[in-house]
Order: sequence, then structure tokens, then C-alpha cells
Amino acid sequence: MIVLGTYRAGSSPLHRLPALAKVLGLIAWGIVTMIFTDPVTSLGIAAAAVLLLISVLPPLWPTVKGMAFIVIVAALAAAYQVYRGDFTMGIDIAADLVGLFSVSIAVTTSTPMGELLDLAAAAFRPFRKVIPPAIPGLMFAIMIRAIPEVATIMRQSRDAAKARGVQRSPQALMIPTATRTVGFALDLGAALHARGIGDEATEDAVPARRTRLPKPKPTQ
Amino acid sequence: MIEFKDAAVVAPDTGVPILHPTSLVLDEQRITIIGANGSGKSTLARLINGLALPVEGQVLVDGLDTRKYGSRVRRKVGFLFTDPSQQLIMPTALEDVMLSLRRSVRSKDERVKAALAALEDIGLGNKGDVSVNALSGGQRQLLALAGVLTATPTIVVADEPTTLLDLRWKAHVGALLHALPIQLVEVTHDLEAATRAQRTLVVDDGAVVFDGNPDDAVAHYRDLMYRKTVGTSA
Repeated sequence: MIVLGTYRAGSSPLHRLPALAKVLGLIAWGIVTMIFTDPVTSLGIAAAAVLLLISVLPPLWPTVKGMAFIVIVAALAAAYQVYRGDFTMGIDIAADLVGLFSVSIAVTTSTPMGELLDLAAAAFRPFRKVIPPAIPGLMFAIMIRAIPEVATIMRQSRDAAKARGVQRSPQALMIPTATRTVGFALDLGAALHARGIGDEATEDAVPARRTRLPKPKPTQ
Repeated sequence: MIEFKDAAVVAPDTGVPILHPTSLVLDEQRITIIGANGSGKSTLARLINGLALPVEGQVLVDGLDTRKYGSRVRRKVGFLFTDPSQQLIMPTALEDVMLSLRRSVRSKDERVKAALAALEDIGLGNKGDVSVNALSGGQRQLLALAGVLTATPTIVVADEPTTLLDLRWKAHVGALLHALPIQLVEVTHDLEAATRAQRTLVVDDGAVVFDGNPDDAVAHYRDLMYRKTVGTSA
């Protein structure tokens, strides 16, 4: 089973901040990181980011693995800059990568998926005349729901290929994974239909329109 | 009340008949449908809530044509799929039940409360925040049923709801379904469960070949299948 999101319940200062503040903070942090290019400040910001990450007590192993990966990427990027002869740029890039990655893990660790989804749905609110308000939230939820399902389909396809001795063949993995993923999407569509979800979204949209327009059209 | 008026379905690309013109009036509280794989029983079930539409004739639920009033019909008819993974739309159990309540309960707090109560009723009270993928097959089917029931349908159509379940869950889900105070149309391969009904339909090669008493229907079905496999009557 795949654990969705890295959220861990906790009581750190970051846990107590509202999701909106954290997402805005993350954006601001990104901008600040980009503005400062001298190596000392960059390293300072990156160190602060790592401390922030530690403060939310993320799950140890997944975090270490993720960080190891980004450290390798950062080292490669820095090595390239040093090879080009730009030593300070190398340090800046490596520090920025590690810092931003840490802050984003800190945010996802301290914010439940539901809150992030609500926020994403709220971000669509200005477009409610075009997109019914129920749709964006549903869209993100289905996306989250589909990830482990597709992973399961992929694992089963790999097992089936192995069982039939064709584990080397990429088609034996990719074709059934692709077709069964489409099948899952069709099934999910039938379920949405059976549960009247699409109907509800369009019904939701109608009152939203009526309250906003001074003279509603008599028919749609 | 469910009414089929010469309803027929053909495969869209090949034109092969899936269900020959069928006329039925289904008003018993407990109806089961049995038949071989590919016989057309799922199509028959899907016609009831408009997931499948007849190419000829019509299907009416409480007088509403499934073609014209699809969404109103689906509000009356809850549908339980064989594979609950197919039915569950949201990432966690609580969110999935809340999705069914969206229309009826406007306030979010009330919706959370109602959804928690529904989970409690079905025996999943402690699973609200658990990922749907982390539930067992039986728990998922319970959750799917909770989602269907919170939408307060007057009819539940279940398409082989226990086929994927082990014996214990099969008994549990079967008992829950049969305790429902609303009309139940159940497609099943479990012949023992099939007899717990007032009326049973046997579907074969896209037609209802027997319609009546459950015990006789099961005998008819066994006979039919034995004749097909070994060429002699059971």
C-alpha cells in the first residue's frame, strides 16, 4: 500500500498555522531564496529550512531517502557550476535546492491532505461561473484516489508479466497498465454516474449563478 | 416499482444483442437475478438505474423513464458494484460517505456528523480517516454500501456484491443487504443467497428464461448449466 501524502499529526508551530499561511509562506520562501545569490546567505537560508523541517518531526526514513536524492541532484548541479568555474553559483544552487525541498516537505508533513485540497478548491472559486464549485475539489480527490490504484494496476501487471516469463518486455508491463488504467477511469465514471455526482455538481452551479446575476435567464 | 417495457440492448459496435426485448414488472421487496457469465444479467441490473440505456423499449422506475429522468432515477436507485474499489471515489472513508451527503446536507459540520454516524452504523466507526486503499475487501464493500444508503434510495440494485468476498464477509454483507427496509434487486452467483428472495429471474443468452419461485429458479438454472456442460440433465 502506498501512503498518501506525508502528513504526520503533531503540535509544532508549523502544524498550528493555517494551510493558506503555509502555502503563501512557501511561495514567499521560494522568492527570497531566488533573490539572495551570495553563498553565505543561501547556506543560511538552507540551514533554516532544514531546521524548520526537523521542527515538524517528519517520518525518518522516507525523508532521509528523499533528502539523499535531492542532495545528489544538488551536488551534481553544483559540480557542473564549479566545473564551469563559478564556485559561488554552485554553492547557491545546491543550497537553494536543498532548502526549498526541505521547506516543501515541512509543509506537506504538517498539513493534512484534506486542507490542501480545500485550499486548491478555493483557489478555483473566482472561476465558479465556468467551473461548478464542486468540480475542482472532486477533481483533486479523484487524482489522489487514482494514484494508489494505478500503482496497484502496475504491480499486478508486472507480476502477471513475471508469472508468464516476459518480465523483460516493456510492452508486457506498459500495455496492460495503460489499458487497465483506462478501464479504471471508465469504471470510476460509471460510479460517479451511479452516485449522481455529476448531476449534483451541475445543480450546485445553478444557484451560484442565480445569486450573482441580477437578472437570471428564465431557462438555461 | 420497476417496469421493463420491451427493453432491449445491443452491443454498440457489433450490433450483437445483449438483452433481447424484455418486459417485466418488478415490485417484490426481494428479487434475485442469476445466470451464467456474460448472460446479460449485469446489463439487466444496470438498466434499472440508467447506467445502461435500452436501445429499444423503455425502463421505468416509479413511472420515470430512465432515459429522460436519469438523475432522478439514480436518486431513487442506489447501485452496489461487484468491486467496491470501483465505487469508492474519495481517498478516505469519511470523505467518501460525505460525498453522498453533499446534496442533502448543506453544512459541512453536519455532513461530517452524519457521515460519522453512517460509518458507525455500518461498523466502520473507527475507519473514517483511513485511506480507502488500506481497507480490506469486505470493509470496502461495507463502505460502498454506507455510501449508497446515506443517499436514501428507495431501491438498491446490487451487482454481485459478495462475489469478491470471503465467507465471513459474504455472510455479513448478505445479511446487511437482506435486512434493508427497501426494495433490493440482487444479481448473484451465490445460489444459496439467491433463494433468500420472493422472486428470482434466470437470465441466459440475453433473455429471462425463468421468472418465479426462487427454489424452482435455482433448480432450473442448475439444470440449464448441466445440460450445457455435459449434455444431460442433472
